[in-house]
Amino acid sequence: MQEPTFLILTALAAGPQHGYGIITDAGRTSGGVTRLQAGTLYMALDRLCSAGLVEPDREEVVDGRLRRYYRLTDEGAALLEAETERRRASAAVAAQRLTARLAARLAGGTA
Amino acid sequence: MSADRTGQAVPAAGEMLDGGAAQQALERRYRRLLRCYPPGHREVYREEMLGVLLAAARPGQRAPGARQAANVAACGLAIRARRALSWLGGPWQDALAVVSLITPVLMFILAALTLAAAIRGAVAGHESLRATVPWLSLVLVLGGPAVAMIGWLAVVLLGLTGRRRAAAAIAAIALALAAASLLVGVIQMGGAWSGGLALFLVTAGVGPVFVASLAVSSLTFSAGPQRGLAIVGRRRACLVIAGLSAGLGSSTILLLLSPYVSLAPFPFSLLTVLAIAIAIVLTRGRGTVDRRVSALVATGLLPDLAIIFLPSANVTATLVIQLGSLLFAVLAWAVAIASSGSRRVGRASPAGLRAGPRPTW
Repeated sequence: MQEPTFLILTALAAGPQHGYGIITDAGRTSGGVTRLQAGTLYMALDRLCSAGLVEPDREEVVDGRLRRYYRLTDEGAALLEAETERRRASAAVAAQRLTARLAARLAGGTA
Repeated sequence: MSADRTGQAVPAAGEMLDGGAAQQALERRYRRLLRCYPPGHREVYREEMLGVLLAAARPGQRAPGARQAANVAACGLAIRARRALSWLGGPWQDALAVVSLITPVLMFILAALTLAAAIRGAVAGHESLRATVPWLSLVLVLGGPAVAMIGWLAVVLLGLTGRRRAAAAIAAIALALAAASLLVGVIQMGGAWSGGLALFLVTAGVGPVFVASLAVSSLTFSAGPQRGLAIVGRRRACLVIAGLSAGLGSSTILLLLSPYVSLAPFPFSLLTVLAIAIAIVLTRGRGTVDRRVSALVATGLLPDLAIIFLPSANVTATLVIQLGSLLFAVLAWAVAIASSGSRRVGRASPAGLRAGPRPTW
């Protein structure tokens, strides 16, 4: 799963959100590293809606501007869960190896 | 300005007017930029995207940022390209799956026929083999087809047991070997282009390379032989394979029946073209998938048409046909790649989204 897709699904896991809300949430989640561009966001939303992972929730008009809210479907939630599990597993391997590396370095330092 | 930006400093009255003008200018530019998107997509998303783009703008910003503009334009054009290629989706994918079932079996049969003919020729002491081929070359003449036979058998078995990627990898190696041996053959013949025999050998070798190329592209870019078998059925698959191998292998079959047969090309050409015509008729059904299978398989059979021109040793006509078939082989790859792209991307328009500024859900 590509990073924008992951961030969009993560944003929608908190509840229905509109386009600009997803962008700000993705910025927060990634610690400001990933700044979703509007084109990328709507390409991903178009694809995610087609795949049934995300669906339109409701519309509002704020200051004369249309806002469409999107929500995560059950399939979308399942996919996000699987991806989260995968990321957790690979992060665990990385953490384990870093710990081992540190231990080896400490052992080498004391020898 | 959207509610997300209300936390920012409130502009003074004069700046407010300027800000309004700036936002109008910005909105105009964004609207122009959004024309990169196809009309169907624009109707659904334009107003919403404008809202997001303007919400992300700095106060007083008059022109889209370069990165933002490039992203919007690139995504719009990408969606246009995806929709333009969507006709390549379903039927071509199904046709490729059928081709990925047929072509490896065909290659296996051709390799087996070649090996049988080589053994027959070696045992019977075919004069051309004995005269020109020392024992090392004899090993190559027998070993080449044997290796090819084992390789393509592996491709068939892996494909039918659902290991499509492994099958594609082995098929790619077999294709590389076939192409290399063809190249070596052409180089060895050197300046003998005018000779009818040289032309015959090259022509007979080109067809299988193209069929192998079809096998690799279809195995790589379709759902694979299992899906192909589900589409076409066992009986029709066998009929088509029998017809095509009779067509492509006719010259080898004749050589097998009688190693002393003269290599006069005329009977070969007649027989090959006839068998290929029968095979195409067998493949041709009513559905759109069948027509596409015929079109794809025909690209692998084209080189054999060159045999027609052998009696007159018309080098130009032969070369034109070979180059033409090379073009078609490249086209077959392009179709395979493009159609797999549309398979991965999914349907063209999102479900549940309707056009219009204010639909009600």
